[in-house]
This record gives sequence, C-alpha cells and structure tokens, in this order.
Amino acid sequence: MEYILQITPALLRGAGVTLGLFAVVLPLSLPLGFLTTLLQRCRFRPLAWLANGYVFVMRGTPLMLQLFFFYFGLPFVPWIGKYLTMAAFPCACVSFTLNYAAYFAEIFRGGLLSIDKGQYEASKVLGLSRAQTMLRVIVPQMIRVTLPSIGNEAITLVKDTALVTAIALPEILHYAKGAVTRDFTTAPFVVAAVIYLLINLVVALAFQQMERRFAYAGREGGGLR
Amino acid sequence: MSVIEVEGLQKSFGRLQVLKDISFQVEQGDCVAIIGPSGSGKSTLLRCLIELETADGGSIRIHGQLLVERGIYAPAAKTRPIIARMGMVFQQFNLYPHLNVVDNLELAPKLVKGLRGAELRGRSLELLHKVGLAEKASSFPGQLSGGQQQRVAIARALMMEPEILLFDEPTSALDPELTGEVLSVMKELARERMTMVVVTHEMGFARDAANRVLFMHDGCILEEGSPERIFSNPQRERTRVFLQSVL
Repeated sequence: MEYILQITPALLRGAGVTLGLFAVVLPLSLPLGFLTTLLQRCRFRPLAWLANGYVFVMRGTPLMLQLFFFYFGLPFVPWIGKYLTMAAFPCACVSFTLNYAAYFAEIFRGGLLSIDKGQYEASKVLGLSRAQTMLRVIVPQMIRVTLPSIGNEAITLVKDTALVTAIALPEILHYAKGAVTRDFTTAPFVVAAVIYLLINLVVALAFQQMERRFAYAGREGGGLR
Repeated sequence: MSVIEVEGLQKSFGRLQVLKDISFQVEQGDCVAIIGPSGSGKSTLLRCLIELETADGGSIRIHGQLLVERGIYAPAAKTRPIIARMGMVFQQFNLYPHLNVVDNLELAPKLVKGLRGAELRGRSLELLHKVGLAEKASSFPGQLSGGQQQRVAIARALMMEPEILLFDEPTSALDPELTGEVLSVMKELARERMTMVVVTHEMGFARDAANRVLFMHDGCILEEGSPERIFSNPQRERTRVFLQSVL
C-alpha cells in the first residue's frame, strides 16, 4: 500500500498529459470531422475526392505511424521541414486530431445516412434554406444518432494516448513502465489500469448524460425505428 | 386565371416514363382528387408541382407564374417564392422528431418569415385547435398516433399560409380506424374553399369532398370530371375496372 502511494503521484502526472491531450483533441477533431463529412458530400467533386482521400489515408495507416511521421518525419521534408518541427505535445495533438477527425467523419456520414429523406423534403417544402435544414433539422437528429459511437471513440482516445510514450511524452504508461523496470513489481501496471478505468468511467458517464439530454420522446432507448 | 396550369408534363426515371403528356388545370377553391392504380404516376405528378421531382418536359404555371417552361425550371430565386405559395402533406408525415408539436409548427415561420412571440404562438395554438390537438402542443411526434401526427403535419403546412395545399396519399400510412380523423380535417379545409390537390386511395373522400376527380393510368390522365360523373358513369373501361376493384 505504501509503495502504491509512493508511485501514484508520478502516474497522476502522466494522467495530466492524457487528460490534456484528450481535452485538446476531442473538441478539435469533432468539428473537423463534421467539416470532412460535408466535404465528402460536396457537389464540387475534387473537394469530395480530397476529403475521401484524407479519410482513406488516416484510417488506413496506424496512428503510431502517423505519430512518428509528424514527429520524426516532417522535419526532414526539404525546404519547409525546419518550419514543421514541433515539440512532442503539440505534435501529438496534431496527429491525434487529424486521425480522430477521419473516424468522426465516417461516424457523422453514417449518422446523416440514417436520416430519412422526408426530413429534407419537408424542410424544402416549408421554405427552409439548405443551411437552415442542416443546422436546425438534420444535425440535431444526427447528434442523437451518433452520440453512442462518439462516446466509443472518446474512450478509445483516452486509451490511445498511451501511444505518445513512443515520442517520449511522459504519460501514464511511461511512468508505470519506468516503475516496473526499476522496482521489479507489476503493481504500477495495475495502478495505471485503475487510472485509465477511472478516467473512462467519467467519460462514459458524461456521454450517458449527453445521450439523455439529446434523447427525445418516443425514441428513448436508442436505436432507429 | 387558373391557380395551377399544367401542360404537356413529362417525367422519366431512367427508361421508365412515369408521366406522359399530362395537362390539367386547378381553379381557385378547387378540391381535386387524383385517383388511379399504384404506379400510375399520381405522386410523381404532385411532387413535380412543388419541385421535389424535376420534370423533363412540359410547363407548370402557379398563379400564372412559370415554374417550368418546356422542361426548363426557372432559376431558384424565382421558383422559391412560387413554391412558397404551396404547402405539402406527406404520406409519412415527415414531422421533425426532435421537436415538440408547437416547435414543429413554428420552426419554418420563425426561420423563413422571421415571426416571433405571442402572435406566432397564438397562430400555432389556433391551428392546433383547428385540427383538434390543442392539448398535444408540448408532445413529441413519437408520442402521437399516426392520425395525430398527420393532423399536426397539416397544421404545420397551414402555418406558412399556403394558397394551395398538396396531399400525397395522406392516409395511406395510417391504420384504417385513424383515417377518419385526418379526412375530416381535410374535408373541413375543402369546405373553407382551400385550393387542394389530393392524391388518394380514399374513394369516399374523392366522392364527397372533391369537386373534381382525375383518374390516372399509366402516366396519363385517362378521365376527369365531377365525382358524380367519374363514380357513377365512368366513360372509360379502365376507369370502370379500377373503380370496381376499389369500391
């Protein structure tokens, strides 16, 4: 017990990095993901291709590789490389945001597909503009449909932050591993697991609250009719 | 001047020609019922009138203003105000599930006409009262029966004060015991001389509430006339066969 109390402060310092990354990446990647979804549906095809290509690359390569690319790779780009050199934390923020936005784009795309075309038709007939239809009719319903998947991604994001130890950002796992090799005990891993679990418990509860808030009568319990 | 003038309207989906040279007029205060077998093009015709489908050929005038001329639509800036003079009620209601009944009614007047406050609320409650749902103002669509939802949809369309109301099989998605409440709202609108075009399988409504009936078959208007004439003395064999099968 004494040992656990002794190592916990270091692990909590690591948790600060995890939470910091989470707090930056989630609010940035959600709007970027939605923007990507809109571009994917854009009638100007080259923009749609660009958005699709972006999603393809970001989903098709490991996040760890992207992290390495942004941290170790970019500085070697000829001419502009020296302007692309980032410290570990901002670099992690950029690569995580770009990666998660691609996943969110796909989630939002699915959410939009689930909305009946009658909603667009009714809005058109009532005289709403396309932007008004999107903002006031489609997006609120899309949020309701996609919240469970977004919650899922948010939990994955908390766990994925463990990857940044690979670019020497000291987060929870970094400290845990250090303590394990130093003290010949697996207790730090257990403490790390508990910290991750506690963070994700909060995340899960927060999303549960949001789902309740966005639920509307006749649709409780989730799912589509 | 006719309220709606359709001339030589054509529409194809791929190789399937759904509307073949449709022409008819609707006068102020008319209640026109469009009847006919499934797949005869009734709904497509209605949807072309309000630009939910784009016609391939022919002309449509609403109050003398050209919506489509020989298959070419006027620019959006011109079609918008023309479409705004029409309201539409759908088979599947298409209410906004995330908004309660009053908000369903008020969203479009707020966003499109910039209406606000007590005057708007008064109008929405008045229309809810008219369709018999005053006590459901704060319910959500998911809490209402199909018949109630459709009556809300009618009230929502009326909020925009349309001069013409289009109904696309308004009772086809309803349980039989719920069609009556919707039809009686529609009959009342017809009595008030609202100009209506109703695609329907409800022969009772076509006979009692409509003042003109169009019988469509295979993308053409085969026969048109007063309900008495169509129902008691159809001229075409196809009309007779259809009426025998549904009555």
